[in-house]
Amino acid sequence: MSALLDIQELHVHYSDLAAIRGVSLHVDEGEVVCLVGPNGAGKSTMLAAVAGGVKPTSGSIRFDGGSLRSVRPEQIARLGVSLVPEGRQIFGTLTVEENLRIGGYISSDRKAAASDFDRLLVTFPRLKERLAYPAGRLSGGEQQMLAVARAVMTQPRLLLVDEPSLGLAPLIIEQIYKTLLELRAERGLTLFINEQSSARVLKYADRIYILRGGQIQLEGRASDLRDGDAIRKAYFGFSAGSQRAAENVA
Amino acid sequence: MISFFQNVIDAVALGSIYALVALGIGLIFGILRLINFAHGDMITVGCYALIVPSTDAAAQLLIGSWTPLAAIAAIAIIVLLVALSTDALVFKHLRRASPTTLMIASFAVSYVTQNALLMAYGARAKGVDFWSGVNVQIAIGELRVPLLQLITVAVTFALMMLLNLFLRYTRYGIQMRAAAEDFRMAQYIGVRGNIVIGLAFAISGMLAATVSLLYVTQSGSLSITMGVPLVLFAFVAVVIGGMGNLLGSVVGGFLIGILLTMLQAYLPPDLRAFRDAFAFAFVILVLLVRPAGLIPARNTIERV
Repeated sequence: MSALLDIQELHVHYSDLAAIRGVSLHVDEGEVVCLVGPNGAGKSTMLAAVAGGVKPTSGSIRFDGGSLRSVRPEQIARLGVSLVPEGRQIFGTLTVEENLRIGGYISSDRKAAASDFDRLLVTFPRLKERLAYPAGRLSGGEQQMLAVARAVMTQPRLLLVDEPSLGLAPLIIEQIYKTLLELRAERGLTLFINEQSSARVLKYADRIYILRGGQIQLEGRASDLRDGDAIRKAYFGFSAGSQRAAENVA
Repeated sequence: MISFFQNVIDAVALGSIYALVALGIGLIFGILRLINFAHGDMITVGCYALIVPSTDAAAQLLIGSWTPLAAIAAIAIIVLLVALSTDALVFKHLRRASPTTLMIASFAVSYVTQNALLMAYGARAKGVDFWSGVNVQIAIGELRVPLLQLITVAVTFALMMLLNLFLRYTRYGIQMRAAAEDFRMAQYIGVRGNIVIGLAFAISGMLAATVSLLYVTQSGSLSITMGVPLVLFAFVAVVIGGMGNLLGSVVGGFLIGILLTMLQAYLPPDLRAFRDAFAFAFVILVLLVRPAGLIPARNTIERV
């Protein structure tokens, strides 16, 4: 079976700086795969490269068999890949409703987009109450929900989520993950999620990759990695005597 | 008192022109972060397109002699195409360039446009008798109002209403607003960057064409550099209104028009020659008090 997203030997540079150094990974249809790593590991660069916002130096990115390299971001969105970026990047001066509708403009079928909009509001009741609000006035958790809902409005097959828990309270993070899994069950979405905390990820992911210094350090099924020592070693690059630091992350 | 009202009407009419120019600049800046100094030359192109290309001092009307509707449509299309071609030929190749590079490129476009006109039409300023029929005065009570000023204000308000409806309620308008706030994110969500940019150039081209027609009807003269002072004051209007905010551009445009007219009318005669210096002093004052302009763009405010 071929993977929905297949990345081989990917290299990304920001001028002289190598951000991604030969990463190969794959995400199968229907899976929840998490990319875990400390700040600056290159997680956001990975997702931006898939979404078309960053041009790779070399390597291949294939979605559903077709190459995504040198495809424009707006075209990648049309192919069925949608990004929920780090820091949410909602359109703060637009209303909540406009933020959502704009994702639906991708589809030429206006009726389908409209019914999808209604269906989505059932999943996101908080947003339904605030449709006419300028999106910039929502709370952080609501903005994260809006960013997810906006991305889903493009009717993607693969949803890329960049650090959905950033700056949010644990209870709200819990809620966001529940919603993501709900969306997967409802729509057959495939999820590729960035996270800093490995503890949370082990709970929700099918498989995880640990990224540090632009390279994959560890790969495995979440169920096989419950014992944290291998993860700690991959995450920090060392294991002994790093208990306290590791606990802070977990 | 009558002369004061007369001045107010002058001020609002002049402010309308600046507001239209500032809108054209503000729209492009919002999407591309390009401060387009060539926008003034789009206005000049619209004016010169009215006459027969020749280096004679006396201008002969070409498109300007057509029926008003045909002339308006033709000028709008010509300026729109020239504006779109400045993007296709120059700015399109600088999408990843810094705002400074973009601005310098716009100076280049401006000089090239002026010199192209120079080759076709000669360097001398020309008099032109265009739509002089609307240069009549209407008596409203004791006030005598030039019909053209009423038309100018009415056209400006109509265009601003239309633009507002477009941006607020159409799918392309909403996409333009999203792209103005965060261009990359808009692309991620499927907004086609080139369509949004093309629309911005097309709309600003049509605004420039409108200014061409209003301006040349009023002044009755053409010169290669006629767009330069317009764009300079309109740029100042955009800055004091708040960069990246269209409402700010409009408010700034009216403010500049009102300021210039009132200074012209009420400065002591000895000082009138220094009117622009007083205007810019006021601008500096505004920016000292409100560095981000009167109505700062919301996306420049830090979000929590």
